[in-house]
Amino acid sequence: MTVSTSYLLYLVFAVGGVGVYLLLPRAQRSARAAGTLLALAALAALLVVLAVRMLGPGPTAGYFYVFATVALAAAVRVVTHPRPVHCALYFVLVVVAVAALLVLQRAEFLAIALIIIYAGAILVTYVFVIMLAQQRGDAVYDTRAREPLLGVLAGFVLMAAMAGQVDRLPLPRPSAASPFTGAVLSISPQGLPAGPAQLPGNTLTVGQLVMTKYVVVLEMTGVLLLVAIIGAVALSGKRVPVDQPPPTWVVGKIGKEVKPF
Amino acid sequence: MDGTTGYVIVGALLFALGLVGFVTRRNLIVMFLCTEVMFQGVLLNVVALGGMHANLEGQAFGLFLLAIAAVEAGLALGLLMLLYRAKATLDAEVWSAMRG
Repeated sequence: MTVSTSYLLYLVFAVGGVGVYLLLPRAQRSARAAGTLLALAALAALLVVLAVRMLGPGPTAGYFYVFATVALAAAVRVVTHPRPVHCALYFVLVVVAVAALLVLQRAEFLAIALIIIYAGAILVTYVFVIMLAQQRGDAVYDTRAREPLLGVLAGFVLMAAMAGQVDRLPLPRPSAASPFTGAVLSISPQGLPAGPAQLPGNTLTVGQLVMTKYVVVLEMTGVLLLVAIIGAVALSGKRVPVDQPPPTWVVGKIGKEVKPF
Repeated sequence: MDGTTGYVIVGALLFALGLVGFVTRRNLIVMFLCTEVMFQGVLLNVVALGGMHANLEGQAFGLFLLAIAAVEAGLALGLLMLLYRAKATLDAEVWSAMRG
């Protein structure tokens, strides 16, 4: 008699949840080693369950395990590291690992866009804000988690609810004649990508889909970005009443005052 | 191999980890970083499920997801600077005047 995969996953998530609970920042640091051990054990057990019960051998399975491990371990560190700058740098690791997983899913354009936008643009903004607003030393709100038990419990319940459905996976692959099918991936019946000669290229096909079927959404996204730019400028600019003289410009000890042009 | 299951589980785990971080961390910047981790999980799920359906709808949706994430990050960081200017701290507990 074999145990249902759901129960195995419940066990894995419970162990991992205890590990994350012990790893969350708190006053005493004695539980960190035990938390690391438990989290690593849960990660290894998850990979074993995935390998034995679901995925099996495949041409890209090895890469999947490597990058899934990197993504999950780095995500745990994002959540549990007491220093915000380290959190941001571990988040870069999450982004890179997720981009690699996207490449394994034949989403090359999205992977490159993810690295450029997230690791390039958004993360720089985050690091800038951290450096603008971070206080010297470890702040108390970084070293004490708020309601760690309830938070980890909420995450565990969420994961358990999803793991309860896992026995139905993988879902039957819908036929290519489904009415919801857009541009069809070039996948041979074995699930392997076809040779490069037949492939039109991921960027070309995604671009065609975005510029034809979703062109209205694309325009709306542009409008949304414009609104966000205006909103960000309006939020972060200094308010100066019109009936008052403009503020004097703060200068350092070295250098002279420069009038705005 | 049909690897969709593995990708979906990894995506779900990223989402749940981000949720745990968002609930438990008190630094406003780290809370928003955790929402970005949740975004990564959703992106992975969307692309994996699109691949399961053998079409590119998931990847197109993921592209728009990236744009929304950029908008969210820009506005959230502007708001953070506003809050920081008001109270000179990043502690989320400071802004609990409406707690019942």
